[in-house]
Amino acid sequence: MTPLQGSANTSQHSNRWLAQALVLIVGLLIIVGGIVAVLLLSGKDPASALNLFLQGSLGDATQRSLVVMRGLPILLAASGLLLTFSAGLWNIGIEGQMMFGAIFATIIARSVGNDTSGWIALALELILAAIGGALWALVAGVLKTKGRVNEIFGGVALNFIASNIALYILDGPWKYGARQQTAPFNAPALLPLVPDSGALSLPGILIAIAGFVLVYLILKRSRWGLQLRAMGHSQRSAFLLGVRTERNVLLAMMACGALGGIGGALQILSPDPVSKGYLFPDSSGGIGFLALLVVLLANYQAAWVPLISLFFSLVPVGMLNLQTQIGLDPTLGRVFEEALVFIVVLANGAAARARHTMGEPD
Amino acid sequence: MDVQISHIVKTFGKVRANDDISMTFQSGHIYAVLGENGAGKSTLMKILSGFQPPDSGQIVLDGQPVVFASPADALRVGIGMLHQDVLDVPGMTVLDNFILARGTHLLPDRHRARVELSQQADKLGFDLNPDAYVDSLTIGERQQLELVRLLSLGAKVLILDEPTTGISTDQKEVLFNSLRRLAHTESVTVILVSHKLEDVNALCDSVVVLRQGQVTGSADMPSPTATLIEMMFGKDLPRSGQRPGKHAHKGLNTVLSVKALSVPGRRVSLKDVYLDVERGEVVGLAGLDGSGQRGLLRACAGLEAPTAGWLYLEGRDVTHLNYHDRVGLGVAYTPAGRLEEGLVAGLTLTEHVALVSDRGTWVHWNAARHEAKDKIEHYSIRGTSESRVETLSGGNQQRALMALLPQNLKLLLLESPTRGLDVESARWVWRQLLARREQGAAIIFISPDLDEIIEYSDRVVVFFGGRATLIDDPSKTSMAELGRLIGGVQS
Repeated sequence: MTPLQGSANTSQHSNRWLAQALVLIVGLLIIVGGIVAVLLLSGKDPASALNLFLQGSLGDATQRSLVVMRGLPILLAASGLLLTFSAGLWNIGIEGQMMFGAIFATIIARSVGNDTSGWIALALELILAAIGGALWALVAGVLKTKGRVNEIFGGVALNFIASNIALYILDGPWKYGARQQTAPFNAPALLPLVPDSGALSLPGILIAIAGFVLVYLILKRSRWGLQLRAMGHSQRSAFLLGVRTERNVLLAMMACGALGGIGGALQILSPDPVSKGYLFPDSSGGIGFLALLVVLLANYQAAWVPLISLFFSLVPVGMLNLQTQIGLDPTLGRVFEEALVFIVVLANGAAARARHTMGEPD
Repeated sequence: MDVQISHIVKTFGKVRANDDISMTFQSGHIYAVLGENGAGKSTLMKILSGFQPPDSGQIVLDGQPVVFASPADALRVGIGMLHQDVLDVPGMTVLDNFILARGTHLLPDRHRARVELSQQADKLGFDLNPDAYVDSLTIGERQQLELVRLLSLGAKVLILDEPTTGISTDQKEVLFNSLRRLAHTESVTVILVSHKLEDVNALCDSVVVLRQGQVTGSADMPSPTATLIEMMFGKDLPRSGQRPGKHAHKGLNTVLSVKALSVPGRRVSLKDVYLDVERGEVVGLAGLDGSGQRGLLRACAGLEAPTAGWLYLEGRDVTHLNYHDRVGLGVAYTPAGRLEEGLVAGLTLTEHVALVSDRGTWVHWNAARHEAKDKIEHYSIRGTSESRVETLSGGNQQRALMALLPQNLKLLLLESPTRGLDVESARWVWRQLLARREQGAAIIFISPDLDEIIEYSDRVVVFFGGRATLIDDPSKTSMAELGRLIGGVQS
């Protein structure tokens, strides 16, 4: 793993940034080539398909707002993961932490009446979501520091438990009618929309950007961020140099869980068509796993994360149009996204290998 | 096997690590490749053993030019390298490690491998238990396993990188005897990479000296030590005498007080140790590798929990304080593995400086960069504030480690502070340490080098089998007497 670069290293840093841009562009070209090939093989016109895809994702204000709004939870989760990856932690439990954020937000959201102040409701929902995500991440952190359970194994188990807890709640205490879901939330519980903008919600956008900027500053400018990066390179050395590594593992997990939890809340608190406006069993929707891919695609470089998060929300929105217009299966979009991650990770690995073979002086 | 190296060039960026090197190693001889840190020895040996290709130049084995794509490639034609940090799998047994490298068959013949392992070990005079787990072995025993493995895979040229670091005197004797036998009766070519002139004198038939990437001389052994040092450093260093200003233990100003301390160890546990160390005193811990000295040092640092006894820092009971709390009280610990435990590989010097200064939430990068530049100048580190520490040479890494130590230390605990350093770097390190002593720090250090312990310690504690013996005036104790104590011989 190559944890994030410090700002102490500016020229090298911008070189790495450019290198990553090159890798991403080449990867994207390969993927586009693959898509064109698939389309030609199935007898469809690539040019019109591309047109439909762009129309569907960026064609009008509503589509563009959809792309932005669906990118926010990805951006929040990926920002959190930047912290844990920097510390050398694979927080695969992010998915369950997002689910917990959604569940905790629902505690408030389902009791918000039509006459409640929307701002207070939203603030409370997001605070609770952060607490829920952080607590679930803390479980994984304690399992790691006290129980010597690798955070990957702990995270996978906790993801299952989180989704089963959600199923239990939605089948029991919070059940609404015959379906496994809560009652639709009242309007004040949901993100307020900018009028005539499609689905855009200013508070949602600001929260996600604030989360990312905070993480960026922590990693580049703060002592804690430096400590996390030191731990990512060598936990043992960092410990002997005075870093309280165990405490930082817990803090990094909790910070990541909190951001993921807020992302999980955004997943259910947007009005239709971005989300459903109620809690349902798969509310986290694989966004946590997607965020892991975003960070891998960015090669742990924070600056890339917002752009890639948007790209990851653009593809499914655009694919939807292809489905309705020419009957192309929308899962194809996911396949190509994941193929892109695969290619880029491969390219980064090859680059690391090339650097290694060039050797280092003794 | 005769090895001929001609016109090897290898550059890293602007550094010419190997600048047109040619030399010949003849079958059945033992060679030493000498040179200070950064002279290009490791680069050359990595090229010879297939770890990295040269930019240009040729390797010829018994008249045949060869090109290696990997270390396995090199071993296939008979070149085996014993690394300073032995490449084995610690969680597996000796036998499994032995089989692992041979793995050409789906189902290994364990019985045959076991027989072969013990035959090979017997031949070399090694005592290896095939069923012992590798992480329970001493460094010396792991080296023995690696040698057995390399030879059973047909190594005809053995390259040994600093093989005597961290092994006991007995193990060194066994190693040297086996190397002599291999060279003189089985015509193996032995190449020793070392800083230790004493080892080179004891073992080698001839030496080749590198300086700044070039061959600066060669000589048949025995050669006067002064000649070798001149070839290595380009000038004659005066013989080091006794360090002036020994500190006489008065029993005043006690910094550290160890009472009835017992520390569990993997094989040898430290039992019932008493020791008082006062301000401005240097105490050297001597003993065979794994005799309990490391347990004492780490227990003092708070990195190992004692099973019994007490530790007092300036009269305060610190037995149950953790490492970070003791650091807060003025204790510092530097490990032997500079890049594994001491510094963070991947971070720059500036980032290290920022990491250890614990002021405020935010890092002031400009201030940190300035501080790093100051330290680079003050500690003469060859590198820039933006150099990642893993690109520095061993000596410069040690300098960086010293530069990161906080001011106003009460107790400085050091594990092999001059490990792998050339004479000049080692002296520099000690000048820094003695300056700390003058400022009032008490110093406790471990060293595998008995000369270093005698030269710099005010008092010496010798460990054998977990028991400690205090020597109040090492200058009045003969080397033979120390040797007996270390070997556990009752006088």
